[in-house]
Amino acid sequence: MIEFKDVTKKYDNGTTALKDVNISIEDGEFVFVVGSSGAGKSTFLKLMMREEVPSKGTITVDGVVLNKLRKRKIPYFRRKLGVVFQDFRLIPTMTVFDNVAFAMRVIGTREKLIRKRVPYVLSLMGLPQKARSMPNELSGGEQQRVALARALANNAKIIIADEPTGNVDPQMSYEIVDLLMKLNENGATVIMVTHEHELVRQFDRRVIILDKGNVVSDGGPLVSDIATAHINAAAEMNSAPVEETIDFGAQPVAFESFTPDGGDAQ
Amino acid sequence: MKKSKSSGSSLGYLTKEGFRNLRVNKLMTFASITVLFSSMFLMGIAFMIYTNIEAMVAGIEQENVILVYIEDDTDAVEVVNLKTEIMNLPNVKSCDFKSKDEAFEEIKKEYDNAEYLDGLENPLPDSYIVTVLDMTQFSQTVAQIKGLDNVMRTRENSDLASKLASAKKAISVVSLVIIALLFIVSLFIISNTVKITMFSRRLEISIMKSVGATNRFIRWPFLVEGVLIGIISGIISTLAIWGVYTLGMRFLSRSFSIMGKGVDITVYLPYLLGAFLILGIFTGIFGSATSIRKYLKERKFVELEDL
Repeated sequence: MIEFKDVTKKYDNGTTALKDVNISIEDGEFVFVVGSSGAGKSTFLKLMMREEVPSKGTITVDGVVLNKLRKRKIPYFRRKLGVVFQDFRLIPTMTVFDNVAFAMRVIGTREKLIRKRVPYVLSLMGLPQKARSMPNELSGGEQQRVALARALANNAKIIIADEPTGNVDPQMSYEIVDLLMKLNENGATVIMVTHEHELVRQFDRRVIILDKGNVVSDGGPLVSDIATAHINAAAEMNSAPVEETIDFGAQPVAFESFTPDGGDAQ
Repeated sequence: MKKSKSSGSSLGYLTKEGFRNLRVNKLMTFASITVLFSSMFLMGIAFMIYTNIEAMVAGIEQENVILVYIEDDTDAVEVVNLKTEIMNLPNVKSCDFKSKDEAFEEIKKEYDNAEYLDGLENPLPDSYIVTVLDMTQFSQTVAQIKGLDNVMRTRENSDLASKLASAKKAISVVSLVIIALLFIVSLFIISNTVKITMFSRRLEISIMKSVGATNRFIRWPFLVEGVLIGIISGIISTLAIWGVYTLGMRFLSRSFSIMGKGVDITVYLPYLLGAFLILGIFTGIFGSATSIRKYLKERKFVELEDL
């Protein structure tokens, strides 16, 4: 369980990134966090990963009270989390296998276990034959799946995806979210930060909307009018051309054909 | 959830990573080794110049003699007795007789137009040329000789002795200052190099931090890298100094015969290598440790816009 209790984060330069935020995410939940830039999304993630400490309030992640977490214990806490980023962050000089293995090696996992685990997570992500490829030989979607495999390598309970679809084409975006759904079905808590409201609408999950440091909406899949307005505002701020948005929405057929196993089923 | 232990396998992995760092960052590795090598090389050359000057000073000291002029009316037996007395003094190394005729001939040789001396009666006395063992007791020995019978006067250059002693001191101070400066420069440069290396590897470090690698794990490969750079630079520097010194001395001794063959470097090579290895390893550890600590403190893994 992830719990933000009256959390305020004020940076040294005076900006208040989050104001009295109360969020509670149950184990096994799938949550979208939506907001325009400056809404406090990245502060929310940083606080959750204990990159920052709140100025006020308490944060608890999987039983760990982050406010009280000792510096030395931070790395061990982070092993509960699997993080993927918009820019994939694969090491270009390493093969796909080594990129995934890297996450295990740097926490001291034995080579024997690595040789077993890496092929497994790669096949889970549909990339069993890409182990020897270099990242630059892969498409954006494939690279993001490698990053996901890496996030899974250490058996993370909580998957945090920071704009995971920002650098992949629309069709692939669905596939990525679909994979996240699958992980969620297998028991992982998934928190995906995004500003692509059309994508969020395609999936039937909880949406938390942040705006100027406040939670303006936290609800089920059918977002309220206010929430829609916020999402639309967020989309505009991220300067998504209107036409593209319309095209995007008119492609459910392509999406369905792309995910034959119907990953959006609950 | 697995906890990291300092098991043998992970230590091996970390060390391997250090080697990989060297290979992957060829340019940075090359730059660091070049820089460290340059300072070590200069330090070594400064040291060899120092030892040579010291050897030369020691040589000059040996040539610093006391001329003991003997009273003109001294008979042959007393002259021989005087030699015994001088030789019996502590700190006297040698005592050689030079007759007045020999001395006069020498003077004639030194001057080109010596003909006008031919008609003159030899004004020079007989003399003993005395050398001493310990330069620092030079003036005492001179005083003791002056106290002996039949000694007309002495001529010596006690100034030169003290000048040489202070020159030696100055040379060692200057050398030490140069070595210290170069050492500080190397430390600064290696720490900068590691900082640059870390910056160029910020992607890997950000991933390490995000998957929960401990700082120890992040640090170790960089320490290994620093130490390896130190060891490689130390070995290259020793070899380079050996080569350059041997060739340089061959050239110098051919051009300036007074220099002699110079100090035999092979005696000093093991010391140089040892000192360089210690210096290299120390600089490697210290240089990387400081920059890593600073880097790990400053950097966050979420924000990597500059990647």
